[in-house]
Amino acid sequence: MRNLLAAGLSLLLSAALVACGRMDGETTAVDAADDASSPAERVNAPSEQMTPWGHPDLQGVYTFATNTPIERPDALADMASFTPAELEALEASALARRRADVHDPAPGQLGSSYNAFWTENETGQLLARTSLITDPENGKLPPLTVNGQAILDAWLADRADRSYGEPPFAQIAYRSWFDLPAYERCVARPMPRIWQAYNHGAQILQTPDHVVLHYESMHDARIIALDDRPPLHEDVRFWNGSSRGRFEGDTLIIETANYANQWMDGGRSGPPIQFPMDNMKITERLRRVDEYTLSYEVTVEDTTIWTRPWTFEMPWVGDDPNYEFPEHLYEFACHEGNFRAIEDTLRGSYGLR
Amino acid sequence: MQEKPRSRIITVGGLVVTALGLLNSSLAHAQSESYTAPRLVNTEQPDLNGIWQALNTANWDIRPHAAKPSAIPELLGALHAAPAGPGVIEGGEIPYQAWAAEQQRENFAGRLTRPTDRETNETTGDPEAKCYMPGVPRATYMPFPFQIVQTPAQILIVYEYANATRIVHMDREPGSPVPSWMGWSIGHFEGDTLVVRVTDQVPQTWFDRAGNFHSESLVVTERYTPISPYHLLYEATIEDPDVYMRPWTVSMPLYRRIEENAEIMEFKCVEFAEQFMYEHLLEDSGESP
Repeated sequence: MRNLLAAGLSLLLSAALVACGRMDGETTAVDAADDASSPAERVNAPSEQMTPWGHPDLQGVYTFATNTPIERPDALADMASFTPAELEALEASALARRRADVHDPAPGQLGSSYNAFWTENETGQLLARTSLITDPENGKLPPLTVNGQAILDAWLADRADRSYGEPPFAQIAYRSWFDLPAYERCVARPMPRIWQAYNHGAQILQTPDHVVLHYESMHDARIIALDDRPPLHEDVRFWNGSSRGRFEGDTLIIETANYANQWMDGGRSGPPIQFPMDNMKITERLRRVDEYTLSYEVTVEDTTIWTRPWTFEMPWVGDDPNYEFPEHLYEFACHEGNFRAIEDTLRGSYGLR
Repeated sequence: MQEKPRSRIITVGGLVVTALGLLNSSLAHAQSESYTAPRLVNTEQPDLNGIWQALNTANWDIRPHAAKPSAIPELLGALHAAPAGPGVIEGGEIPYQAWAAEQQRENFAGRLTRPTDRETNETTGDPEAKCYMPGVPRATYMPFPFQIVQTPAQILIVYEYANATRIVHMDREPGSPVPSWMGWSIGHFEGDTLVVRVTDQVPQTWFDRAGNFHSESLVVTERYTPISPYHLLYEATIEDPDVYMRPWTVSMPLYRRIEENAEIMEFKCVEFAEQFMYEHLLEDSGESP
């Protein structure tokens, strides 16, 4: 009985610690993971490193939020990674910012941006690397092709034509819903899914012949066959592309093509994702690096847009206390709740024009 | 010399009579008693993994119905006309309360109502016209396949239509955080039958294009029973004391998609609904912005 009581108390204390950590950002991610629950309670945590049929077991609930930028900032041009001391200082300032966002938001800020209270990403926020891009070595996207540059220039010119007022108060008018990014239309997320500030949970399920990546955002389930089936005919095009997978050693390799002939516009994230996708091929590599962490490495290849392939890598974090169990993936009823946003956007644009 | 064949005929005839009796009482029970599904690897559960699809006209109308023209035959000719169907409701009728029967007729009459503002969008028109997630049980008999992804710990159902998904929490009962379009699913096995209780669905989904509907009090109890390597029997009991006089049940077979390399396609219908939903917002509303 004492043991049970102690266990119960310990659980309560742990829960309180986790709650403090969530609100104050004073508990590290590692602490939260230790306290959240025992492995036996984590229905999604891997109990074995291999499935009964001999595949590496990647199953679980993960998040892919990070504060590390896709491209290395110019100011850090010669610096591929932070020293431990620099990283610690950056994390401290991020925590301070987060604490301010939650407890003491600047006037007007809540209404104008997605602050840390909204994004509630607990872990995996900052890598030691200064960019998600690992190849090219300078951490930057490769140069655009002539075609890629022309597409970007045309997009920027069109956007300038629709801008009213002077930065930073410029407003963009939308001639129709087609001027909105696919994400804001609730049609699709940009591919590849590099990172996300919120709704950043995903679930991996495995059967002997399939791996399923189930994303909270856009309730997309990518069902990836592991047999040697041929690719779909080139006329069959999907916003999320068509994927085929295989295991090589400890790594799941997913190759995806057949993207829709659409612009996968990333909204305010800016390039690189404001390009047509129909010639894009991506290769994703998912591999377990420790009990709760996967490495997610993606190579993007589109010789009509970039002069060479490029690769980014980031963790999928399995111990984010906001996404611990499958029930923490909420229904992402984006389109079902979007009428008001589109109504206001188009009505407001009419007024601007 | 003539006895033997006759007795054979009698025996065969007896089997036929028995089989017909079983068919009449319940096709499902006759078959499920003689069929045992393969087990999911390392478990005692039947393996329900696969791509399944209903083959009926329930999405037009779950009740018995005659063939009908489309809503706009002057534009579509015979395209999109509704085929007749015997219905999928046990007993043939939905036991609506009187007001609800009238509401269903209004729903049908207004099924192509275009949303003019956020309020009308909430309350009018067939949610399928707007590409809203279909809810349960309609997701099951939309004319699109769906895939059951079953692991020992949980089940994910992935519908091709609107790329809707639904996690079925198995042998655990986490609480629903918020009402949702696809509801909150808690499942367990009874023998070889997967039983899923679905609660907390938003009231905006319909059961079909005929405007049959429910309220937020809806509770759906689904039963998925393997009856052959290629068939599941699907039964769903519908309870909603705010709309019906008593619970009622739909049932239908689901067919395994056996084409070589069958896979779920992508049907992101949002982009097909936008003109219908938003076109009028491009014009002058008459109000000053």
